[in-house]
Amino acid sequence: MIVKLVIKRLFLALVTLLVVSAFIYWTTAILPGDVAARVLGRESTPAQRALFDKQMHLDQPVPVRYAIWLNGVVHGDFGRSLASQLSVSGIVAPALSNTLLLGLYALVLYVPISVLLAALSAVFRGRPLDAGITIVTLVGLSLPEFALGTLLLIAFAVIWPVLPAMATIEQVQGPLDFLRTAALPALTLTIAMSVYAVRMLRDNLIDVLNSDYVRMATLNGLPRRRIVLRHALPNALGPALNITALNLAYLIGGVVVVENVFAYPGVGTLLVNSISVRDAPVIEAATLIVSGVYILANLIADVAAMLLNPRLRTS
Amino acid sequence: MASEILTPEVRVAPGRRVLLHVKRWPASLWVGGLILALFTLVAITGPLWAPYDPTMFGTGIPFSPPSSSHLLGTDQLGRDVFSRIVYGAPIDLFLALASTFLALIVGGSLGLLSGYVGGWFDDVLMRIFDGLISIPLLIFALLIIAAAGPEESGSMVLLIGVVALVYMPRIARMARAVAVDLATRDFVTVARTRGESAWSIVRRELVPNATGVLLVEFGVRAGYAPIIIGSLGFLGFGARPPTPEWGLMISENRSAITADPIVVLAPALALALLVIGLNLFTDGFARVIGRTIQRGPI
Repeated sequence: MIVKLVIKRLFLALVTLLVVSAFIYWTTAILPGDVAARVLGRESTPAQRALFDKQMHLDQPVPVRYAIWLNGVVHGDFGRSLASQLSVSGIVAPALSNTLLLGLYALVLYVPISVLLAALSAVFRGRPLDAGITIVTLVGLSLPEFALGTLLLIAFAVIWPVLPAMATIEQVQGPLDFLRTAALPALTLTIAMSVYAVRMLRDNLIDVLNSDYVRMATLNGLPRRRIVLRHALPNALGPALNITALNLAYLIGGVVVVENVFAYPGVGTLLVNSISVRDAPVIEAATLIVSGVYILANLIADVAAMLLNPRLRTS
Repeated sequence: MASEILTPEVRVAPGRRVLLHVKRWPASLWVGGLILALFTLVAITGPLWAPYDPTMFGTGIPFSPPSSSHLLGTDQLGRDVFSRIVYGAPIDLFLALASTFLALIVGGSLGLLSGYVGGWFDDVLMRIFDGLISIPLLIFALLIIAAAGPEESGSMVLLIGVVALVYMPRIARMARAVAVDLATRDFVTVARTRGESAWSIVRRELVPNATGVLLVEFGVRAGYAPIIIGSLGFLGFGARPPTPEWGLMISENRSAITADPIVVLAPALALALLVIGLNLFTDGFARVIGRTIQRGPI
């Protein structure tokens, strides 16, 4: 039963990915400008351009080009960059691993910070600390990531210069140096994700803290710390998993802006640069991979929810 | 930072009565409303009292600190930052509302129709929309801007179209869920047996009953639109210089934050305040009509 549902969900994800790939290819295929003239230079002869068009299949209609491209993608070949003539996989792969590294860094910071702030807010509900945390999260979710990143930059690289402003991780020496160099972009992403989780987890925790079994535990004389950590928190975490899955998906998109704020050499920076020079093959590969990771994150979240909650398995 | 409205099932809203009782408005509606009123006032009357032309170079020495003649100092070209903030208000406010409204009209009608009609039309449309939603929001926007080409870049029409296109499938999904729920109600069955067409049922039976949910959705989306517009401006794919758009202002003056952080802080805070106003107002409105908004990331 569950296996069938998971297979159905997997099939739907593949259909979605196919729709996405068609959309991405179609939008980049209509990028204006004569590609051959741009790559070969103005001095190229019409014959040279015609040959180039033939080699790149640019003389074919868009659906045929899409089929050729998709066939290559399935076999791991994203073509060559128009700007540098290097293989697209060779350009995108290091950028992607940088981005995943940054995402992991942000995620590792995100979990303890969210749980700690939510727990403090719920335990001290209605007190100044709770009000402060609530206001800070409201401001946090109203600030665009680039503004948040810039504010952190002003705070920790200008006014109190303890962290590097530019996350140029090419010259880092060792993991500790990486943690320091990438601290500001990671922190920006962490805050952007945590504001939602803190709000949601706080509300869940307050519901649980008001429940009968917590009251029972209090009446039995259990220490408050034990009640919160051992009894309330695990039960409040369940619903917050959903928002963490959403956050994971967000992380993949939000990274585009944050990387650009700190000049971090990831997929986001690569994407913005290739859009500026209209390098279609790189744009296609970067957006498709990012969307693929996004779809995968949602798929994992759905399947995990199905495994954890039997009620979701019925339909 | 998408958000879902937790109670998509449609109830008879106590809305109108409470909305008229100003005294029973929640604080968030008041505060949000005041902030929005302030922004609207500045947007409309700003050009009458802003001290300088927002695009005029050399109104003072570049990066001069705040003074009585330049309330927020000057930027790297000696333009008055305060005047640029004031002139930026109508841009960000108008772009956000216009684009979200366009998405609401198109996405809302498509979603309601799709949910009511069902069948293969619904299946195909929703698969396509699911695909479009699976492209992270900002990347979707960047793709469309890239496709439009450098000539179109920076035009207000393109910006409105991009945000509307990005929102359209998301709003359609939500409207569809509402329509699927409403389609089983007796009054819809009655309308169908009267022989009304699908479009007429959508217009006369579904739309009036979905208004509350759709308005909350509009508010939530409009609250995030300035963030998209600002982010695009910041990345260099939104408004073009010398437009005093706040996201663009932040990116223009970033290189000088060590010397003069106020030039960057001021537009960031203006943008945040606008979003806070829109969010508070929407939260308050949702509470008045008996709904709760659970905000999540997009």
